[in-house]
Amino acid sequence: MQLIKRGAEADIYRAQWFGRDAILKTRNPKSYRNIELDTRLRRQRTIREANMLHLVKSLGIHSPLVYFVNTKQHTIVMQYIEGKSIHSLNNSEILSHCDLMGQYTGLLHSAGIMHGDLTTSNFLYGDRLYLIDMGLSSRTTKPEDWAVDMRLIKEIFNSAHADIVHEAWDKLTSGYAKTMPQWRRVLKITSDIEQRGRYARVV
Amino acid sequence: MRSIYRPPQGEGIHPREASRHHVEKGPGVLAECLKEAGISMNDVDVISYAGGPGLGPCLRVGAVMARALSIHYKTPIYPVHHAIGHIDLGRILTGATDPLVLLVSGGHTMILAFLSGQWRVFGETLDITLGQLLDQFGRSLGLASPCGQKIERMAQQDEVYAALPYTVRGNDVSFSGLLSAAKSLTKSVGNDRTCYSLQETAFAMIAEAVERALSLTGKTELMIVGGVAANQRLSSMLHEACSRHDCTFYAVPPKYAGDCGIQIAATGMLESTVKSPARIQDTFIQQSWRLDSVVIHYSASMAS
Repeated sequence: MQLIKRGAEADIYRAQWFGRDAILKTRNPKSYRNIELDTRLRRQRTIREANMLHLVKSLGIHSPLVYFVNTKQHTIVMQYIEGKSIHSLNNSEILSHCDLMGQYTGLLHSAGIMHGDLTTSNFLYGDRLYLIDMGLSSRTTKPEDWAVDMRLIKEIFNSAHADIVHEAWDKLTSGYAKTMPQWRRVLKITSDIEQRGRYARVV
Repeated sequence: MRSIYRPPQGEGIHPREASRHHVEKGPGVLAECLKEAGISMNDVDVISYAGGPGLGPCLRVGAVMARALSIHYKTPIYPVHHAIGHIDLGRILTGATDPLVLLVSGGHTMILAFLSGQWRVFGETLDITLGQLLDQFGRSLGLASPCGQKIERMAQQDEVYAALPYTVRGNDVSFSGLLSAAKSLTKSVGNDRTCYSLQETAFAMIAEAVERALSLTGKTELMIVGGVAANQRLSSMLHEACSRHDCTFYAVPPKYAGDCGIQIAATGMLESTVKSPARIQDTFIQQSWRLDSVVIHYSASMAS
């Protein structure tokens, strides 16, 4: 199998699954982490990710099909998606996807799910827009948790896409408002969280 | 040369007492420094002071000293961001050229990378800092601040992990829940085991956030700076995390990891190469001065 990405918490391999193009996502042990803590996190995230990838489809969000889950070895086999991460696109292309990214986020939140790692690297664009990497996701009805998602994507715009942060954020939030009835409240809490940051003076 | 304010055992820093300490010790420390270096104030080309962030009364003492010296000796003066000082000193000492920076201290827990003229935040704490976590937990055990070293020593006495909450939100971490849980865990498993579990949990969170930022930014160097950088366990975990990403690990020598005057001097020196000095009437302090709002004019990659 060919390694295609060495991520922070998992390695991604190209694979075949009964004749289909697939990827194998494996959460290898981290030797620097206490083994009990390590096992707990790997198991919990594998199960969560598989569940959520499946669940979000019923909300109208595109995500890879899950083919197989191994909870002993902490691996998932899922559909291979031909495409690029939004993070790797150029500025104008990124901006063209922000509205739909916002809509996806709104759909998640209004169904009581937070993504937990909402970054431009976790949206793929191929034949359409896909949401991936749901290992940190959780079910929550606390607007505070939803706001953590929003704050994270804003932080990513502000750091990795600093030239287009304002435009991207505007487009994302306008998409978000289309699918998330409580959008005003969440955005208010988002700015509260930013101000809670150390020495923050939010623009 | 160094003189550090130590609060009474089990208590935190009192701003008034800390600033009184600075007033009493400041001039003596400066005199010793000059003596050690074998120079006089007339040989000093640039004066810089910590303009923030920090405790107002303490920053003010430094600013007043700097201002008085600047006026008397007609020496150019530069206000410096405390944390940028950590980073600049780190780059000078380690030779890192374009690192991802992990800044862990009492005032900051941030993951930073330099991008178009500013240090950008790729991850940070959503509530308290790593230094605060260790200090506040240590104080609840009755230790004197700073508690990091004492906690590390206690942690080395045990190897059994007791479960504690692990909160990574994307690239960010949150320590407040961990602090409360650790405080109550001491009652059931004792201090040593709690210290061990607290370190393992908190540092694994940091290491994961660092790994995330490394894979996001594609940087090939990691530099750790700030007071908590002196912790052996943290640096060994980060070392391993780096080797997974083919990344070179740089740690600031422990002597210079914590707060020190030379970090302020380092940034002042760099600024003086590209910027004209501040006017005396502009030599303010800012208690809240956000690191990613500082525009850097000198070269932040250490080509030279």
